[in-house]
Amino acid sequence: MSPGAGENFSRSDSNPDRSLSARFVAELPISGASISVVVESGQQSTISVSDALAARIDDLQFALGEGPHWDALRHGSPVLVPNLLAVGGEVWPMLTSAITEFGVGALFAFPLRTGAVTIGVVDLYRSTVEPLTEREVTEAVALARDVAPRALQFAITLANDETPPTNGLAVEMRREVHQATGMILVQLEIDATEAFARLRAHAFASGITIQEVANDVVQRRLNFRDLPE
Amino acid sequence: MSTVTRETRLNAAFVKLADTLIDDYDIVDLLHTLVEECTAIFDVQAGGLMLADADGQLQLVASTSEKADLVEIMQLNAGQGPCVECFKTGKPVAIADIAHSGDSWPAFRTEALKQGFHSIYATPLRLRGQTIGTLNLLSTSVGDLNARDALAAQALSDVATIGILQERLAKERGIVADQLQRALDSRVLIEQAKGVLSELASINVDEAFNAMRGYARSHNMRLHDVADGIVGRTISIVPSALG
Repeated sequence: MSPGAGENFSRSDSNPDRSLSARFVAELPISGASISVVVESGQQSTISVSDALAARIDDLQFALGEGPHWDALRHGSPVLVPNLLAVGGEVWPMLTSAITEFGVGALFAFPLRTGAVTIGVVDLYRSTVEPLTEREVTEAVALARDVAPRALQFAITLANDETPPTNGLAVEMRREVHQATGMILVQLEIDATEAFARLRAHAFASGITIQEVANDVVQRRLNFRDLPE
Repeated sequence: MSTVTRETRLNAAFVKLADTLIDDYDIVDLLHTLVEECTAIFDVQAGGLMLADADGQLQLVASTSEKADLVEIMQLNAGQGPCVECFKTGKPVAIADIAHSGDSWPAFRTEALKQGFHSIYATPLRLRGQTIGTLNLLSTSVGDLNARDALAAQALSDVATIGILQERLAKERGIVADQLQRALDSRVLIEQAKGVLSELASINVDEAFNAMRGYARSHNMRLHDVADGIVGRTISIVPSALG
């Protein structure tokens, strides 16, 4: 690993929770994992990395704007690359040449979803060239489903300085937030992921909570059609 | 409800649930049916079924009404109320008179009374010593569920547990947690779809839920798939079809 590895790892890794990515390493035959979440439109934060190389791969995918991470984020479905050198050179040339020297054989990316909204991605790497079995893919999907609510809570807390609720429902599970996401996607003719990002961005810009914005939308006091671009 | 009618209704409920479990069913829809059947059989006015997420936080997955006021009671109940006590102890919690239930759950008590509910019965959803959620029945009158009804409520809750676990016949590790998370995530998707539909058809979110459920029934589809199609804009339920 080069001495500079991880030097750019400053995208608000202020609150990294190693245990989230460690679960993937413990339960799957992989070498390392990183978890990043969409904080607001176009911005992502890495909330958990299992090791320095996972952090490096994560960094490079961000810096270069290419890799399985982005495809998983864009399409909301897993991207499996059991033989990076064979496939990656064509599809992600910069990333592939940058990381195969670190001994990365395979990359796997799984979206973190809440309903129809993609809230982030789990990136896994393997030092060997080897596919995940069907059962392992199922397990990775289940793990991603399991960590998604926690990851979302991290993202919201990071973006909005909201303190996690001590009593009652976690903010991400309040129904109005999801209902408002559905209403905004119709109002702006965008997909659910983008609608949720807009909802959060509006809350952030207005200095009020996501829950309050969601309530205004559901009560029809606020229509995103009427907001300036 | 007379004894004969009640027994008939109870039998019918078990038959209906068993039939559902044989088919390719939707878990949220099944739990809704269960809650509706329970309120009718036990002659209570409202009910809600909660499942615990990965953090042990209880989330409302099915209720007799999607209206905000009932949802609010259930959420308070899940934060600090009989529901969470039932979940923590793994034992039924019966509050025969909410007005005289002490100061343990002030927010829940106030909201329940404001909406005219005077008693609640919470029964655990159990699996091999683990509690995965609770079934909550709210009544507008004071009084306990009798012992026989309490047994029946437990049996119906056990059916719900089986339903959650059988939804997919997977045998992977941690499958209980995954099935729970799956049901909870399905609920999120349904909320997003309710938003889409209410915006498109200019209806309330609770009307949107009924419209989706009706569509799922008449098209023989799973509620989850209908919700998915609505959010992905591949299914459109036109206002004229909403009745």
